[in-house]
Amino acid sequence: MALARRPEIVAWVLLAPATIYLVILFVAPLVQVLILSFTDPKVSTAHFVRVFTAPLYLRTLGVTFQAAFTVTVACLLLAYPLAYVMARVKGRLGIILLAIVGISFWTSFLVRTYSWLIIFGNRGPIAALYETMGWGEMPRLLFTAFASTMGMTHLMLPYMVMALYAVMSRIEDNYVRAAHSLGATPFAAFRTVYFPLSLPGVINGSLLVFAIVMGFYVTPQLLGSPQSRMISQIVAEQVQDLLAWGFASALAVVLLVATGIVIGIYNRVAGLDRLWGD
Amino acid sequence: MTKSMKPTTRRTFLKGSAAVAAAAVAMPNVITPSRAQSKELIVNTWGGSWTAAENESLFKPFTAKTGIAIKTATPVTYAKLKVQVQTGNYEWDVSNANPPQLKLANAEGLIEPLDFNIIDKSKLRVPIYENTLGFIALSTLLVYRTDKFPNGGPQSWADFWNVEKFPGRRCLYDRAFTCLGYAMLADGAALDKVYPLDLDRAFKKMAEIKKHVRVWWTQGNQSQQLIQDGEVDMIAMWSARGVESIEKNKMPGQVVWNQAESYGSGWYVAKGSPRKEAGMRFIDFVVQAKPLADFCKILPYGPLNPDSFQFISDEEGKRMPTYPAHAKIAFTPDADWLLPRLHDINERWKQFIAT
Repeated sequence: MALARRPEIVAWVLLAPATIYLVILFVAPLVQVLILSFTDPKVSTAHFVRVFTAPLYLRTLGVTFQAAFTVTVACLLLAYPLAYVMARVKGRLGIILLAIVGISFWTSFLVRTYSWLIIFGNRGPIAALYETMGWGEMPRLLFTAFASTMGMTHLMLPYMVMALYAVMSRIEDNYVRAAHSLGATPFAAFRTVYFPLSLPGVINGSLLVFAIVMGFYVTPQLLGSPQSRMISQIVAEQVQDLLAWGFASALAVVLLVATGIVIGIYNRVAGLDRLWGD
Repeated sequence: MTKSMKPTTRRTFLKGSAAVAAAAVAMPNVITPSRAQSKELIVNTWGGSWTAAENESLFKPFTAKTGIAIKTATPVTYAKLKVQVQTGNYEWDVSNANPPQLKLANAEGLIEPLDFNIIDKSKLRVPIYENTLGFIALSTLLVYRTDKFPNGGPQSWADFWNVEKFPGRRCLYDRAFTCLGYAMLADGAALDKVYPLDLDRAFKKMAEIKKHVRVWWTQGNQSQQLIQDGEVDMIAMWSARGVESIEKNKMPGQVVWNQAESYGSGWYVAKGSPRKEAGMRFIDFVVQAKPLADFCKILPYGPLNPDSFQFISDEEGKRMPTYPAHAKIAFTPDADWLLPRLHDINERWKQFIAT
């Protein structure tokens, strides 16, 4: 009896540190945010009423979803061919590509965001190109929704590449070869064999990028415009400038729930259990 | 200092003896905590050229006079102040802030009441505001490029709004009450009638200029970059930044003091700070005529101590918001009126410029 139960006990013991860590550092503060949203400065649902009645917040939430969706799709389109090459090409090129993605991954978000300030700036390479080619005045790039989206796509690209690469590197070349030998064209082989096998990577990467972009702050703040303001920027203003922690908490709760709903729908459609393979 | 007496357990005993051993080894070079507390003060500051100016004009003379060493913590966030007071853990002791936030912080009980046993009220030459000592005035005003307007540029907010007479790319500060104040003036309100803001009137006037505003800036260095690089031709920006762009960075430009928005910032001690005595001495020191004048000579903000102008030449004074001729033609936001409405105004503002 005692012996039969042992593996379970061992599992619990192994899980305990991570569980305790999560409860103290993640669940407890989250519960506090939830409590604040209903109690600060007094007990009421006024904050939530305001979030859903003043047009600003739902609009900003919409902008946030839109940005997260755009960045996810852009990352997927850019990362898929790259990860494909990385996984299929053996030897030096694969290692070089992996190193490039890795270095970009490990470089600080802030540094990479600031680099866009230079690239898009009036004395940056794009401005210089316009000048040397005599194309006239450069279109305004900095402090636009475009710059913000571009910056976030750049920051999130390595996440998508890694997620795809992890899955693609395990897809055996033999599967595709088998398809070829059975008469499939290269495109048909890709469509019917390779792509379905790479889907867990697509799902995983998209979810990762989407969820992170939903909470982005620094990049839209530094590169974006008032029109492209995201929900976390509003939360930060409430926390820092207005000291309105109750309202900020309510916004955070709405963001969390909204993101949760999207992930829930995604789970229904795509099946999150596929994330961890079969 | 100690919160409660705890029975000595084996672990705390071990910790304690380890600390004693370590201290014994390092002894000649360490200051014990109790001494350190009165001999150092941590100032919350913005960093960059601001902190460099503070260091030169305020921190060094203060340390020389009192022996209290100054450390700094950046950046300035009101949220941190609130956390400090709530948790009783102090990363910094003193800071300075601007009116809407100051009033907010004081209303929430985050500011230590001024201690007039340390601060000599009879010798004080600066205004007292919300438990803070007035330090400098900051102006946000119109700056234009003289290469774009060689025959004289816009001289008022009515001119800024006049896109036929002064064609060019415009740029405004993404701060609701500042722009709404300008809109009131552009619509013909007198300087002393800007507040209380007529919100409907001001928003209506803002709607006229909105499509001509190329950028809404949010950070000080961004405003400088926009006007210096010629990306915009006229801008509402902080006066000291404008002066720096023209004098130091050689931008062909003009600062317009007429109808500037100007308000004072104040120094305060965080409520419950363990070093509040040193903090009170510090804020009393930095608003004295000389250190304050020295600060404003490095960064041309306006000293709120009128005696500071004894140490400032007329040439230098003309760069400052509190120079008498400039102060006369500026307006000051009414923080008492603004504070209870700030949330609504900001909300309406953000919706307005986002759509």
